[in-house]
Amino acid sequence: MGKPKKISKIFDRQILFLILVIILLSLVFGSINPKFLTWRNLLAIFQQIAVLGIATMAMALLLISGGIDLSIGSMIGLSGVVICKLVMIGYHPAFAIFIGALIPIGCGLVNGIIVSKSKCVPLIVTLGMSYVYYGMALVISGGLFLSLKGHFTFLGRGRVLGIPVPMMVVIATVILIHVLLKYTRLGRRLVVMGGNEQMAFLSGINVDRLKIKVYTISGAIVSLASLVLVSRLGNVLADVGSGYELEALASAIIGGVTFEGGRGTMFGAFLGAILLGIVKNGLNILNVSSYFQTFTLGIIIVVAVVISNIEKIRA
Amino acid sequence: MNGAPKKFAIQAENISKIFPGVQALNQVSFDLYPGEIHCIVGENGAGKSTLIKILSGFLKPDRGEIIVDSQRFKALTPHQAQTLGIQVVYQENILAPTVSAAENVFAGQEKVGNFGLIDHQKTFEEAEKIFSSLGVKLDSRMLVENLSPSEQQFVKIGRALALQPRVLILDEPTAMFDKQEAEAVLSLIQDISQRGIGVIYISHRLEEIIDIAHRITVLKDGQKVACHDIKTEQINLDYIAREMVGREVKFFQKKKQTKKGKVALEIKNLKIKEAGPEVSFQLYQGEILGIAGLIGSGRTEIMKAVFGAGQKLKGEVSVAGKKSQIRNPAEAIQLGIGFITEDRQKTGLALNLSVIKNTTIVGLNKLPTSFFNLFLNLPQEKLIVQQLVEELAIKTPSLEQEIRFLSGGNQQKVILGRWLFKNVDIFIFDEPTIGIDVSAKSEIHKLMANLVDNGKSIIMISSEMPELVAMSDRVLVIREGDIVAELRAEEITEENIILHAFGVKN
Repeated sequence: MGKPKKISKIFDRQILFLILVIILLSLVFGSINPKFLTWRNLLAIFQQIAVLGIATMAMALLLISGGIDLSIGSMIGLSGVVICKLVMIGYHPAFAIFIGALIPIGCGLVNGIIVSKSKCVPLIVTLGMSYVYYGMALVISGGLFLSLKGHFTFLGRGRVLGIPVPMMVVIATVILIHVLLKYTRLGRRLVVMGGNEQMAFLSGINVDRLKIKVYTISGAIVSLASLVLVSRLGNVLADVGSGYELEALASAIIGGVTFEGGRGTMFGAFLGAILLGIVKNGLNILNVSSYFQTFTLGIIIVVAVVISNIEKIRA
Repeated sequence: MNGAPKKFAIQAENISKIFPGVQALNQVSFDLYPGEIHCIVGENGAGKSTLIKILSGFLKPDRGEIIVDSQRFKALTPHQAQTLGIQVVYQENILAPTVSAAENVFAGQEKVGNFGLIDHQKTFEEAEKIFSSLGVKLDSRMLVENLSPSEQQFVKIGRALALQPRVLILDEPTAMFDKQEAEAVLSLIQDISQRGIGVIYISHRLEEIIDIAHRITVLKDGQKVACHDIKTEQINLDYIAREMVGREVKFFQKKKQTKKGKVALEIKNLKIKEAGPEVSFQLYQGEILGIAGLIGSGRTEIMKAVFGAGQKLKGEVSVAGKKSQIRNPAEAIQLGIGFITEDRQKTGLALNLSVIKNTTIVGLNKLPTSFFNLFLNLPQEKLIVQQLVEELAIKTPSLEQEIRFLSGGNQQKVILGRWLFKNVDIFIFDEPTIGIDVSAKSEIHKLMANLVDNGKSIIMISSEMPELVAMSDRVLVIREGDIVAELRAEEITEENIILHAFGVKN
């Protein structure tokens, strides 16, 4: 059994490998522009990737349990628009935030019900739902900028003991979801469902209900991402969250989570988000044009997916 | 079929093929004349499909030669076989459902008109020609998905004929048909052979073979037992069925008979298909109830329905004397029933996950927890699995090993361990030792014998005759969805099982 052992070692090493790449990249960026490696900039990076990091947790949780949700970005937009709209027409900010936080949870619940009851491919269902949610956000906002009017800045811009609050939120989320996945029965059932849905069903797991649960939980995580983002920006457009679903997907895949489900860790996925964040920030600091940045990000994503699939090509 | 020495349409000499652990074919020779219908019969696993695959180029023989047109081949490729005019009509559906019958017939050799574009008119007309030459009324413009199973079979045969074969191989073409449909296919086959095309015909229905065959070759455990010429020999079904079985049972140790306890599971009037039969049976505590029948006879479907994992139209299930509702596997497991599926890779295991996760999934609620029952105690879980691994002698480099790297036998033991940990009382095994090497087989058999010794009950679906004979206290034979025989004690012989399974004996 020599060969199998090696392969499993490579998987253990994937996280180590990611950390190495992240350090190496930081050194490269730092040597070209010393500003990159300052404490200030590092905190800024974390602040920038907080929303992506949280959204990545939602996506990774779904991928590991065999699902996917492409409406995450639209859910963020809808929630942000609703919060600002309520504030603007005079409701108490706390009430607006409460309602806004419920929206992605409801969206996740709806997605989960459709996916589990219709037995349709989640990729297509949630792609369709992303238009539904985005459309709702457009209708509510009328396509205009909406503002929080200066309320509710703590979650997105606040600092405690010099550490940005978003950074604390994202780290707490990673730990929480990690614990959920690894140490609870619910998490274990999710992993097994992602590994083999038919076997999970034959093992007495109520697969439909479990899917609804995981989509709802993922909606709750998205709601957190949305609050952090809205709080940081202070004003929103309906498309404020657009692109997050794909970046979260990319981060998770870079971090070792697979499309087939059952495999990957939250820490790995988070490292994927950090890698994406560092590349973006680094390219910014090096004054690379945003067009070229898009190109570079694409290359990184494809390379990461190919690397994580190498074992299959060999077999 | 008379006259001086005829040339063979195809000839195979001393073909041998070994799969890991099995000699699938051993020095088998086979030949076919033009215009002849040559039937091949044998139990599941006798080597019929291996032989077909070798003749059609999908498998390479380890030894032997194939001779077509006085050319000798060590092996054929699928492409070579096609150009030599060897066509196979498989049992499975290999048609494109959303495309018309005609386009299916000419898929890969489309009728082309001007500018290299497809000439639909010609495609339909040519297809109609083929169908009408077969005496089949079939609108070639119909989409295949709207055709009945037998019409689809005609399309498959039409497709093979469009390639003007010299040899047509048919693998159980009537398996899914009722009598009338089957007769239509049979007369069509006779018609085809009269055009000078050699037909190799494989079927589990012995009656129809006797009707149409010119010669019958009997295979058993990869060996050719006999080749009968219907014209010169008087053959009856019984004789052939006996030839298909007649092997010495050496491999398996006969399990000692256990004392029969109370009724553990009772099924009354279970119906799984509209217009299907209703079945009733009982499983006693401490017994192994063997379920025999050909592949496709509905054995698995019946047991899946019992377990709540398959369609069930009506029927009553009682567990340990109590009437019970089983609507899904969760409820079956709650009542103490476990199901070990036939296809480990697809439905038995989460291949990406560790031995631990694969073992404890059913019994997750029995694992020790901490902090208000919120968190799993992973070190304790590991100990529990370690114990099971030792008890069942599962060979794995570590408990964290992904299960796909284990051998089939060890994988099966992990699945068994899963149900042992849940501590169910009734085990339904579907092909308990399929794809497992001989030594692991006997280990699994010992574990099964242990289970019934300890008062558990087992339903064992199996295609392996020696396994059924050695392990079962009682055997139910399933044919076309119905229980056609219940065999006890000395009645449990391979011959009896085969005769009932093929419907020769009632």
